[in-house]
Amino acid sequence: MGGKSLYLIIRQMRLPIFVLIVTFAISILGLVLIPGVDDQGHPYHLTFFDAFYFVSYMASTIGFGESPYAFNYPQKLWVAFCIYLTVTGWFYAIGAIVELVQDKVLAEQLALAQFMKRVKKLDEPFFIFVGYNRLNRAVIKKLSRQNIHSVVIEKSEEKLHLLKLEDFAIAVPGLLADAKDPQSFRLAGIHKPNCRGIVSLFNDDVLNLRVALTAKLMNRRLRVIAEATKTSYAQNLETVGVSDVINPFAIVARRVYSAIREPSLLVLEQWLYGEPLVLRKKDRLPRKGRYIVCGYGRLGRAIEKGLKRTGIDYLFIEADCKKAGRAREPECVLVGAADDKRMLLEANIQEASCIIAATADDLLNLSIIMAAKRLNPHIYTIARENNMDDLVIFKGAKIDRIIELDRLRVNRTYSMIAYPLAVRFMALMAYRGEAWAAKVIETMKRKVGPNPSRLETVIDEAHAFALHRALEAGRKITLQALYRRRDDRCRFNPIVALYLRRGEEEMVMPPEDTPLKVGDEIFFAGTPEAFDDAETIMENIYELRYVTSA
Amino acid sequence: MNLEKVISGFFIILAFTLNFGFFYGDPTVIAQHSRYELMAAIVINLIATIYKLGDKTQLGAVLLATSLVADIQLFGAGAIWLAGSHLVGMTDEIVTAIVSFSGGALLANIVSVFLFSADVIKSKR
Repeated sequence: MGGKSLYLIIRQMRLPIFVLIVTFAISILGLVLIPGVDDQGHPYHLTFFDAFYFVSYMASTIGFGESPYAFNYPQKLWVAFCIYLTVTGWFYAIGAIVELVQDKVLAEQLALAQFMKRVKKLDEPFFIFVGYNRLNRAVIKKLSRQNIHSVVIEKSEEKLHLLKLEDFAIAVPGLLADAKDPQSFRLAGIHKPNCRGIVSLFNDDVLNLRVALTAKLMNRRLRVIAEATKTSYAQNLETVGVSDVINPFAIVARRVYSAIREPSLLVLEQWLYGEPLVLRKKDRLPRKGRYIVCGYGRLGRAIEKGLKRTGIDYLFIEADCKKAGRAREPECVLVGAADDKRMLLEANIQEASCIIAATADDLLNLSIIMAAKRLNPHIYTIARENNMDDLVIFKGAKIDRIIELDRLRVNRTYSMIAYPLAVRFMALMAYRGEAWAAKVIETMKRKVGPNPSRLETVIDEAHAFALHRALEAGRKITLQALYRRRDDRCRFNPIVALYLRRGEEEMVMPPEDTPLKVGDEIFFAGTPEAFDDAETIMENIYELRYVTSA
Repeated sequence: MNLEKVISGFFIILAFTLNFGFFYGDPTVIAQHSRYELMAAIVINLIATIYKLGDKTQLGAVLLATSLVADIQLFGAGAIWLAGSHLVGMTDEIVTAIVSFSGGALLANIVSVFLFSADVIKSKR
């Protein structure tokens, strides 16, 4: 690797150029030496320039005719010889050079050099994405709208071409390399101080662990966001020092529980992932009756975990004896094909309140839902959708709730990168419980409205020039200053701070009279206009003076 | 014996000697400077240049630079000759310019030969 093959290619150009120079030199010398006759019959010799001019257009087969005068026979004899000499030499040399320029190795070298240049020039914070799959593509797209830069490592050339065709808001450099090769991480800028983290969302826990381990060993302070669907791998990741583990099944387990017992937490979490702050009727799962879950795989077990906590009665149907055998409570698992009517009747579908089609096969899930609906029209239906492209069909099937694992992965990863404080806030809320979440939602609705936006900021020189200066000078400024309107300081904007982090100290819903300190990281909910005002107040000395002298 | 070294050494020395051969003589008398020798010097210098292409070492880079300088100087001499014989006439000024340009190229070739020999002497036998 490196520049070596580039030099090798340049070396291979030596012979073609040598041939070109020698054939030209021989032809030119001959033309200069052979005496000619001009239009008045006087003898003359071609000058070197005349000869060079003639040979140039002869060799390249352009052929403007004999110049400066028509040739005599000795000259013609020489030219006839030269035609075969130079034209052959010319074609050989040009052909060889063109072939070398089109060489795949050379193209790869040039692409690599271009990639390295782009990474070197990148001086804003960026994340490295390993593999260019649908998930990473969706995350990168969302990040690019937030002006967060990304770099991609992908081993398939075809997928990398897709990246080039993509129209992201900001340029995303792509490197053709294998994620198993640590060298590729170095090229992608893992050692750069503005590299914030590395994201690995492969469908393969082993590969994710490998990427995480390599990245952590190469750069200790790096944030690693990796997917792990099995508990053992999640634990391994934590041992390595990875704090951000993406596990869609764990999210589902928690959500199933929330949707039955803690609706406010569910609403809050959905809001963090970009949905409005309201609980729609179909978001609530039935709180009574029996649940029938089809498929006892990874998702099935996650759902079981959630249902068990709620204490609701449930029954699984699994076609695979091996999977069914792994159940901790075998009496809750029926073995058989879930889209079979008799099987559903055996599970007593008429009396059940909810059916969850959780197999890894989209078509099977759809037919389960259809069959269940025919047998029990009032049943609440939940289906797992595995392939993002199938969403249209699922929407057409009028299913109450769709579990989109890929979307969960994408949203979770995106939030971890773009809204790390919000993710931490959500974890604290889950710990505090339903009553707190309800209070937070009520406050947000009262102060902001049904669909607040999110903003994360930090009080430092780059983000809050004026505020930073005032606090350094020892002035006491409270959170309330950021809530005031710029056009009328006596009134307040629809904005509220949800979470404040000061070093080790954390505050959920900090009160308005909280004094601000340099280095505070704050997560706000509010309208975009209110955020504009708050950010201007933080940046601008005059605006800050206006609102603080109220 | 490294055949590649023989070839590149041959062309580097030949470029130098031909360049000197053209330069040697009264700088105001064009008859003492053969145009065939200038042509040969240009051609051999070009070949010496391509044999220095693609050398990754630092010495290789400097050698290539000296060769490029010599090429430009000799092209300059040739271009002035062309201008002299076809446009302005072979005045003393033109003749001295041709010879002094080739003198410049000669210096570049001396540096080139010096670096080449130094490299040979430095390397173990």
